This record gives sequence, C-alpha cells and structure tokens, in this order.
Amino acid sequence: MVIDSAMIWEWVIKSVAILIFCTAGFAYTTLYERKVLARMQVRWGPNRAGPRGILQPVADGIKLIFKEELIPAKADKLIFVIAPVITVIPALIITGVVPWGPDITIGGRTIHLYLANINVAVLYIMSITSISVYGITLAGWSSNNKYATLGGLRSTAQMISYELALGLAFVGPILLAGSMSLQDIVAAQAKSVPFILLQPLGAVIYMIAVIAEVNRAPFDMPEAEQELTAGYHTEYSGMKFALFFMAEYIKMIAVSTIGATLFLGGYLGPFLNVAPWLGPVYLIGKVAILLYGLIWLRATLPRIRYDRLMAFGWKVLFPLALLNVVLTAAGITLFGGK
Amino acid sequence: MPVITLQLVIFITVAALAIASALGMLFSRNTVYSALLLVFNFTTVAFLYFMMGAPFIGLAQITVYAGAIMVLFLFVIMLLGTEQIARIEQLSAQSVAAVLLGLVIITEAVVVFLLRNPTSLVVTSGGDVVSVNEIGGLLYSQYLLPFEITSFILLVAVVGAIILTKQEKPAGKAVEGEVKK
Amino acid sequence: MSDQSAVVGTVTEVFPDWFSPDSRPGYAGYIVPSERMREAAGYLKNRKHFDMLTSVTSADYFPEDRIEMVYHFRRSTGGEPLRIKCFLSRVESQIDSLVDVFPGAELQEREVWDLMGVRFTGHPDLRRILTWEGFAGHPLRKDWKEPFFEDEIKPYKSRWPEGKFIRAEEKNPLGDNLCFPPGFDPESWVPDKDEILYKSMTRVAKAGEDGMDSDTIIVNLGPQHPSTHGVFRMVARLDGETVVDLKPVMGYLHRNHEKIGERNTFLGNMPFTDRLDYICSMSNNFAYALAVEKLLNIAPPERAEYIRVIMAELTRIVNHLVANGFLMNDLGAFFTPVLYSLEEREFILDFFEAASGSRMMCNYYRFGGVVRDLDENMMSMLKAILERLPRKMDELEKYLIGSEIVRIRSEGVGILTPEAAIANSATGPLLRASGVPYDLRRADPYSIYDRFDFDVCVRYHGDIYDRFMLRIDEIRQSIRILKQAVRDMPSGPVLTGKPQYQVRVPAGEAYGRVEGPKGELGFYLVSNGKTNPARYHVRAPTFINLTSLAGMSRGNKVADVVTILGSIDIVLGEVDR
Repeated sequence: MVIDSAMIWEWVIKSVAILIFCTAGFAYTTLYERKVLARMQVRWGPNRAGPRGILQPVADGIKLIFKEELIPAKADKLIFVIAPVITVIPALIITGVVPWGPDITIGGRTIHLYLANINVAVLYIMSITSISVYGITLAGWSSNNKYATLGGLRSTAQMISYELALGLAFVGPILLAGSMSLQDIVAAQAKSVPFILLQPLGAVIYMIAVIAEVNRAPFDMPEAEQELTAGYHTEYSGMKFALFFMAEYIKMIAVSTIGATLFLGGYLGPFLNVAPWLGPVYLIGKVAILLYGLIWLRATLPRIRYDRLMAFGWKVLFPLALLNVVLTAAGITLFGGK
Repeated sequence: MPVITLQLVIFITVAALAIASALGMLFSRNTVYSALLLVFNFTTVAFLYFMMGAPFIGLAQITVYAGAIMVLFLFVIMLLGTEQIARIEQLSAQSVAAVLLGLVIITEAVVVFLLRNPTSLVVTSGGDVVSVNEIGGLLYSQYLLPFEITSFILLVAVVGAIILTKQEKPAGKAVEGEVKK
Repeated sequence: MSDQSAVVGTVTEVFPDWFSPDSRPGYAGYIVPSERMREAAGYLKNRKHFDMLTSVTSADYFPEDRIEMVYHFRRSTGGEPLRIKCFLSRVESQIDSLVDVFPGAELQEREVWDLMGVRFTGHPDLRRILTWEGFAGHPLRKDWKEPFFEDEIKPYKSRWPEGKFIRAEEKNPLGDNLCFPPGFDPESWVPDKDEILYKSMTRVAKAGEDGMDSDTIIVNLGPQHPSTHGVFRMVARLDGETVVDLKPVMGYLHRNHEKIGERNTFLGNMPFTDRLDYICSMSNNFAYALAVEKLLNIAPPERAEYIRVIMAELTRIVNHLVANGFLMNDLGAFFTPVLYSLEEREFILDFFEAASGSRMMCNYYRFGGVVRDLDENMMSMLKAILERLPRKMDELEKYLIGSEIVRIRSEGVGILTPEAAIANSATGPLLRASGVPYDLRRADPYSIYDRFDFDVCVRYHGDIYDRFMLRIDEIRQSIRILKQAVRDMPSGPVLTGKPQYQVRVPAGEAYGRVEGPKGELGFYLVSNGKTNPARYHVRAPTFINLTSLAGMSRGNKVADVVTILGSIDIVLGEVDR
C-alpha cells in the first residue's frame, strides 16, 4: 500500500466528514426527537427559534456554552473534567468502520466511501462499546455524589450485562456473510436479502441490547430521572453536561448506523449502480427510521426497574441470543451459507 | 543504525507511553488512577499489536482487559470505597520477594534478548497469518484440546462463583422477613 | 351523634369518671381526663370498634389556662365521627401518646407538638415536623406572635394610617419580613447534620444485619428532587438498592396556614383554602364551607347543592387524571401519559374558568351556596365533557393497562394491608385500594350524595396497580354521578340569603369534612363569636396518608419508593400547610 499525500488528504477529509456528520447529526437528532415526542404527546414542540424551530439546536448550544461550569468542592477535579471527554470519544470514533456507499470515481481517482475497511470491524465496534462505559462510571465516581455514584455503578453493571447479548447478536450477520468486515457484510446482503429477513431474532436482540448500551428509555437506568435525579451527570453543567448529552445522541446515531448496516442492508437500495451517491442517502434514511423507533420507545414506555432489567438481560436476552447463534449456524450448515 | 521512519517514531512514542503508564500505575497512591493508568497501558499495548499487523489480538486485548476486566476492578474499587492506599505499608517480606522476582524476569528477558537474534522473535508476516479465520481454524484443529480444557476451567469457575454467591440467599431472605415485621 | 352517644352513653354509666359529655353551647363530644386518654382510646378501639383515629388536633384557649386536645375517632364501617377532648394545662401540656394504639397518630402528634407545644410521652420520634429544628416557640399558641405582628384580625388597620398604604416589610432595615430566634446568628450557623434523624433510623437497620459485613448508606431523596412532587424529602437507608428504612421529612413549604387562617375573616379565608391542595381547590372550598355552615346552621338551596356536587366530582376527575398521569411519570414514562391526561383536564379547567373566573384557584363556594350560577352555555360545555370523557378513559385504560412494564413495575409493589391502612388512618384511594370500602360519601353522607346512585370503588391487593386502577374506577363513578346531577338539576337561587362580606358566626365548634379526591379532607373550626375563627385546623388527607409511606417502602427498591410516593398522590401545599 503506497501512501501518498492525496491519500492522507482523503483520510483527513473523510474523518472530518464523519465528525461533522456525528456532531451536526447530534444537534438535529435532538430537534428530531423533540418534534417527534411533541407530536406523540399532542403538542407542537419547539417552533420559536427559526422557521419550524429549525434553529433550536443552535440556540440550545449557545445557551449551554454560556452556562456556568460548576465543579463540586469534594469532586476529583481531574477525572471530573476528563470524564465527559472520555465519554464522547468512543461515540465519535465508532462509526469509522461503517461503509457509506459504493466506490465513486472523482477525477479518475476511485474513492471508497468508508474510512477504514478492517477485517475485524465488528470486533472493533465491540471493543469501542466496551470501553465507552468508562466515561460514565468515572463521571459518577468523581462527582462524589450518591446519586451519581449509584448511576455510575448501575451503568457499569448494565453495560457489562448487555454487551454479551450484543456481541452474540453480531454473530448472526458474521456467520451469514462469512466475514467480520462491514464492507463484506453489506456486499453479502447485496447478493441475498437484507439480513433482518434471515435474522429477525438477531435484529430484535441487537436493538434491545443497544438501547441498554446507549442508556435510552426504557433502559435509561443510569440517569433515571425519577429516582436518581440525573444519575451520573447530576453534578455536571454547561458544556461538560453538553458533552454527555452529545455522547448519548451520537451513540444513538452510531448504533442506528451499525444496525442499519448489519441488518437493513446498509447503503444498499435501488438505482445504486446508476447513481452511487444515493448510497449515503439510503443509509441516512435507514438511520432516521431506526432513530424514530428509539424515540417512539421513549415516548411510550415506562422505565423497567433495575433488578428486572438485569434479570431480563441475563435470563431472557442472553439465552435467546445464544439460541439465535445455534440456529443460524445450524441453518447455514443445513442449507449452505453465503 | 536503523533508519528513522514514521513507524519507528510512532513505536517509540507508544512504547514510552506504555512504560510511563505502567510506572504511573505502580506509583499512584489513588487506586482509581492506578486502574485508569492500567487501562491506558492496555490500550497502548493493543496499539503495538496493531502495528505488528495483528488487529484481532489488539482488539481482543482492549475488549477483554480494558473493556471487561478493568471495568470490574473499577466497580469493586468504587463499591468498597478504597480509593486511597495508606502511605506506609508493612509488607516488607512481600516487597523483598517482589524485587527478587522482578530481577529474575528482567534477567531472563535480557538473556533471551542477547543470546538470540532479536529479529527471530518477531512475527514478520503481518496480515492474514493472524486473521480471524486463521485463529478460528487453529483453535478448532491444532489447539482443540487446550481450548476445550480452558473452556472447562472457565465453566468450573463460573459454576463455582454461582455456588459461592448462592449460599447467602436463604439467610438474607429470612432477615428481610424480620425487617418487614 | 346519635348512635355514638348511645354507645358512649352506656360507657358513661359504667365509667362515669372516663367520659363526660361536653355540655358547653355549640360544643359536642366527650371530655376525657388526660391521664385516662390512652386507656380510653384503647377501649374505644378494642371494645367499641372505633378503629380509625381520623384526626388529632388541639385548640388553645389563651386567657384561660387550657389547651384542648381534640381527637376524632371513626369506625371503618361508617358513621359519624366521635369527638373526644382532653383538657391540658398550658404550662405542663403533656399527655400520653396514642401511637402504640393508633399508629396513625404519629405524624399528627408530631404536628401538635410542633405547632402547639403539647408533649406526648411515649412517642417514638417526637421531633418538630413542619417548622425547622431551630424554631423558637410553638406558633399556634395564642400568645405566640410572629415577627412584625400587627393585629389579631385582618384587615390590618396599621396598613393604611389615614388611608395611606404601607407594608410591614418596609419598616425593616433588612428589607424582608424576617426575624431570627434569640441567640441565632445566621453568619456563624452550621447547618444541622440531621444526626438525630439519622440515628432514629439505625435501630431498624440493625435488625437487617445478618453477619455479612455490608454497609448501608443514607440517601436523601429531596427536598430538591424531580419525583417528590414538590419540596418533600425522604431519608432512605439503603442496603444496595433496597430500602431498609425510610422517613419522610416535610415542612419545606410550611407557611403556617392555620395561623394565617386564624387571622383571616371567615369569608376571607375561602380563597386561602384554594392554596392547600392547589389541584382540587373546589374540594377544599366545599369542606370549609360545610364546616362554617355547621356553625352558622344554614343549608344551601337545592340548585347550589347540585352545583357543588358537580364541581366536587369534576375536581375528583381532575385530581385522579393528574395523579395517574404523574404516577406514570414516576414509573419512568416520558410525559406522554401525563400530557394525555392533562389534555382532558384542560376541558374541565375551562369549565371551572367559565364558572368561577379562575382555572385553579376557584374560590367558588360561599357559605350557603355558591357564588355564581351556571348558565346554559356552561351546561352544554359540561355535557360535552361528559360525552367525551368516558371514551377517553377507555382509551387511556387500554394504552396503560396493556403495558407489560406498567404491570411488572406496579403489581405487588408497595403493599398496604387493610389492617395497616386503617391503623395508619389512611383515607381516600389509598384506603379503598387496600380493600376497605370506606368512602365518606356513603359512610357519613354530606350534601346530597345520598340521592345519587353510585358505587364505592374498592380493590383488594393494596398495591400500586390497584391504587392506579381504583382512580380510574372512581373517575367512571364520578361521571355517573355527574350525569345524574346534570339530569336532575333544578332551577332556583344558588345562595341562601343575600351575599355578605362579613358573616356573624356564633360561638362553638364544628368539623366539616368531605371525601376529597385524596382522602378525608376535614376542617375543624372553633369560633368565639368574633369575625375570625379562634381555631382553624385542616385535616390534610395527604399529610396523614404519608404515615403509611415508610411501611410500604421497606424492603422495596429505591426505584419503587418514588412510585409508591406517587401512588399516595401527595400535594405539598396540603402536606406542609
């Protein structure tokens, strides 16, 4: 592999594009969520800043920047400050392995619409999700606040429990595609059908597990407002709080992107060979659908109690995920995979 | 005299960070900081694996050590509230043993390094030799017995852990009943 | 007090030194020597089946050296309350606590100690409850004067010397109406660490020790907490996430409603009752009007009675919608059920606004009727509500009852047994969901409730789910009553006599009560013939229902505690008064 300057520029531009997609996506996912929630709750939602409230995220951002940053007197200052950063970084880098579309050619140069096509992409996603718990745990501990500590401990336990089911949910598409590379998984879906049709159980398990991973309702235990005020970020304000907020929404986007890639065929869609630029459009559309599902759940479901959540994770979800792996493997052996 | 390449610079930086974080882990008085530095150390070591063209090992390192084991360590530290270690430790016998063992390991490393050609230790063929398919194949053919034995030991450990925690339950329930009355 | 007097009448013959009738004009009930009170209460409970201690209060008769303890006993099978009084000296003011006979006296006795300074011997945890620990004096005593005391009765004459308006705060160099007790310096004051409070909880925690060395932690839920429904605090001792013991701490919203009420004129106090339970101001008006009407010995005209019932039942619907909606919020549903409930509430509030001019602070009832009549337009509004509401209730029930998570979280959680509910003086939905079919509208009818055909709702498991469902049942029954009321409403005047600013209330005492949406809402009034009440006590249902909170919470998870609190349905304006 020859590395020339054009290639480095290509990497830089792609990385920046992903970061911008994540952060801008974060801003407008909040607006999207508030609008959808509002319409589900017989009200209008934000409609004052800009036409149809389109500038609301900007206004929120400005507000958060000018908020006072408070650090509790007995907090562990260093960790208190770096915990939001630790939380947001995994969220930002996790989408690096997702393919956005087929190769396109600009000025005689073939450009791959992905940042990295590593052959262990799924494992990469697993390891990034596994370290994303640190930010939350440390934020809870460093605040020196009982609510925050409880929230941090809960999130640790919850994430460890649901990671197993999440990992096993990945196994289905991996077995079907015979590769851990997301590029290959999408290519395999191009040859057959989107894997949600072959892996309905796996897709459901994936969605449930990621809701727990990103701490969204009905599994928003770590920040359970009703009992723990705001859980691990009780003591945070201003931009530090905004970083946690950002991490949550970027993670939502990331898991939706990965879910769309694994189970909904990623960037695939009609007329792709005519107009390859449709790839990202299809992907974003699928992500929006999955995000809508996440928001819908938040609008309708009460929170599950913590011990029931753990019991569900270990006693229901994990065995089902194992069963799914066994069934998939058996199916591939019987009917021939790939 | 080796040529200074980009890779060498990165290697030296990462290696220095790994050593620094390991030392910091040893000398930090705050157990949470120690645990975090250890996590950082694991990550840098994983990065070294990536540079050697073994992404599977690297990612497994992060997932298992940084993502699972160290989280549990932190969990325990926070639950017990033992963040600060006492300044003075009276474990002189242990520290003497530790120094001796450390010396043995360093000597061993130096001897091996000097006696053998260093390059022979490096797995030169990067890429597919350590790919997932390759590892899976080896685990289920050549190393099947060790693999199964390891799984069996892990299973025993899991069952043992369950039995150990299970014994508390009846006592705990009875007490709960009393409180309600 | 017909059948009660028969019951006690036999007693007075057997134990002439125990019960002697209160024969002062305008007064009723029996007087018991203070040293006999505990035995008498036990006797009434065990032998005469007066198993509910509805209210414990006291009245200060200042120029005389006398504080009267006033107890209201009820039977859980129904009937009028039995009033028992004890005369205490203002100097010694000591009496045996009834907590071991009636656990429901716990918070009420603490309130009497706090506000009136009566010491209860044998009370397990006699601390101040509504005022803060450093408070000087007992404010409901007549010789206790607040800082910048101006006058005994409103309107304060000092406020407009020669027609000019001045405020007491302006005389104060600090700029606010604030005064510290002697020896208190706010600069050097260190906040109380609540050691006494925490110590009072350890003894229960000790019982949980099982040889395992596990630490319990104390978590303060509140006073600033999103799900305590206001500035309410629960001190919970947790073992992991399990609640070992819990104590409610209240009074953060205390403004001494009763003292202010005693300064108000009788009619001027009507809008002040709106502020007690601000969700259901109409019920508060209703109970207060009933109490004063008992003193005045007047009755409202027919049409006013119907309007009163309509307003009270609409208030019940409003309250139950809000309670159930926010209970869902406590379960972690993100505002959707609340907003669906509030949508229905809007229609009723619009109706209130049309009738009274205000959406929440209605101030609609008057002594001997209501202030304004309902016209045709309002009646058609009401009919539209009655047409829409049953449909919407079915919808709401379908959405919520079908939810697995709602049922898992609420069934079998926070159980209150019928025995405990009665012993703790619980009333309202809390009592009825525990399987005690006790509703004042049937048990001790007032107004014209005996004319309507409706069921007393009851559910038998006593858990959160049953309380939730019971409120839905009660909404349905209220709709039934409303339909009958709209059908039968006669025309005519809505106020006896002509509207007057100042009412002349003869001396005496009265206890007016309604089955409020949250439980028995009672007003105990003592008049000495002046323009303001000599004693004005509010029997706040949610305050007394909180007695059951600790028992229901023990052994549950933290997450359930907030739901249990939500299922009691408290409003801090009423709890703290």
